[in-house]
Amino acid sequence: MRKFFSNRRLVIIVIILVVCFGLMAGSITMRNRRNTPPLIQQFGNDIVGFADSAVALPVNWLQTSFSSVNDLMNTYSENRELKQQVTDLAQTKVRNQALAHENKQLKQELKLNSSMTDYDTVTAAVLMRTPSAWQQQLVINKGQSSGIKKNMPVMSDGGLIGRIAEVNKTNSKVELLSDTSESSNRFAIAIHGTDGIVNGIVTGYNASRDELVMGQVSSKAKLKKGARVTTNGMGGITPKGLYVGKVARVGKDDYGLAQKVYITPAANFNDINIVTVAESASQE
Amino acid sequence: MYRLSRLKYVFPVGLFVCLFLDGALSHVWAPLFFHYPYSMASELVLLWLTLAYFFENGIEIPLIPFAAVAGIVADLYGSGILGLYMFLFPCVMGLTTILSKYFSSSFLSMIMIFFIDLVAFSTLNYWAYSLVGVTSTPFGDYLVYVLAPTLALNLVYFVVLYWPIRAIFNWATDEKTA
Repeated sequence: MRKFFSNRRLVIIVIILVVCFGLMAGSITMRNRRNTPPLIQQFGNDIVGFADSAVALPVNWLQTSFSSVNDLMNTYSENRELKQQVTDLAQTKVRNQALAHENKQLKQELKLNSSMTDYDTVTAAVLMRTPSAWQQQLVINKGQSSGIKKNMPVMSDGGLIGRIAEVNKTNSKVELLSDTSESSNRFAIAIHGTDGIVNGIVTGYNASRDELVMGQVSSKAKLKKGARVTTNGMGGITPKGLYVGKVARVGKDDYGLAQKVYITPAANFNDINIVTVAESASQE
Repeated sequence: MYRLSRLKYVFPVGLFVCLFLDGALSHVWAPLFFHYPYSMASELVLLWLTLAYFFENGIEIPLIPFAAVAGIVADLYGSGILGLYMFLFPCVMGLTTILSKYFSSSFLSMIMIFFIDLVAFSTLNYWAYSLVGVTSTPFGDYLVYVLAPTLALNLVYFVVLYWPIRAIFNWATDEKTA
């Protein structure tokens, strides 16, 4: 052992440790501060991204074909259920169209170009997930060249799943709401209660029950189980009206002063194949 | 001679395929890998590097530089935090070299060395990330919910892929007669 930890080796080990932690701390701060990673990193990531598609796409394809076979088994019962929903949907759709038309006319009257509910979407496929227990992160195959910017909200299954954490030219990283890092789930949301809307922000994620937590709700409004939760557009980057989930239960915070609302997210964070990135139109 | 054998192509291609498969499998099997409270990390790269050390048949692959390159790619593309895997992969290769001096190269001792590699790798990974603040999981939870499932998954990989990878290396290392 004495020989193994000779002076020279010890110095090298210490230097490596210092460089290692320096690089890690540096890259974490840089990632939080900068809008895009340094050009050389973007370039490298783009090339690796291309190579990755050669492996990821066949694997994804295999999975899709397996799950298609699975779907085929459930077709009959699913079809019956869906038929009922379709009749309902047609009505909602027509009404939606009429309202959208009216909304547009009213906006023109007010000379309002775009409001917080206007957004464009970019659809992307998931290339990979970080193979680590410590980060809940996806890599998607669209980047700056498709108009994606850092911090844009990402949806899947009709519900919010996370935000863009890093953008390269042709691929970007998505931090899921279930990630433990502080910034990953801070979204401004609104709960549509029976007597008005309650605004707040997502303050955490409860992994054991798969629930988002909205803490420090001082409003006296009564919130019922099953109330819909959407983003409220505050902050400017996230558009208004993206579906987040439904209220699962309402509790008191540790001091009994404010309400704490638990929200069941609409999307399953472990089953994401195609994502939609929402780009707020009022941002430009 | 590494430069003259088929390994010149086979080894790097295999290394990067493993790197990308780690990500792709974590995505496709996410319901299995990240089923609460367990999380498994797929470490095919580590498997490939360790087995390459045992199967290189005297052809000296520059394993440590390759491990560092794979680490940089895993850092930048996979996690976005530079500085961890680029040192951990070469360190684990160093550990494999040291350990293999003390054991014979049978299947059982190889799987044991791979086991030790994995424990060292994920524990150092956990330790570094908790120092930097990426995770705040308690050590006990780490042992039960992360290390144990990760070991299980990767040892299954080892048992399933041992013979296929050995066949690949045997084919790649035999003399070009044709």
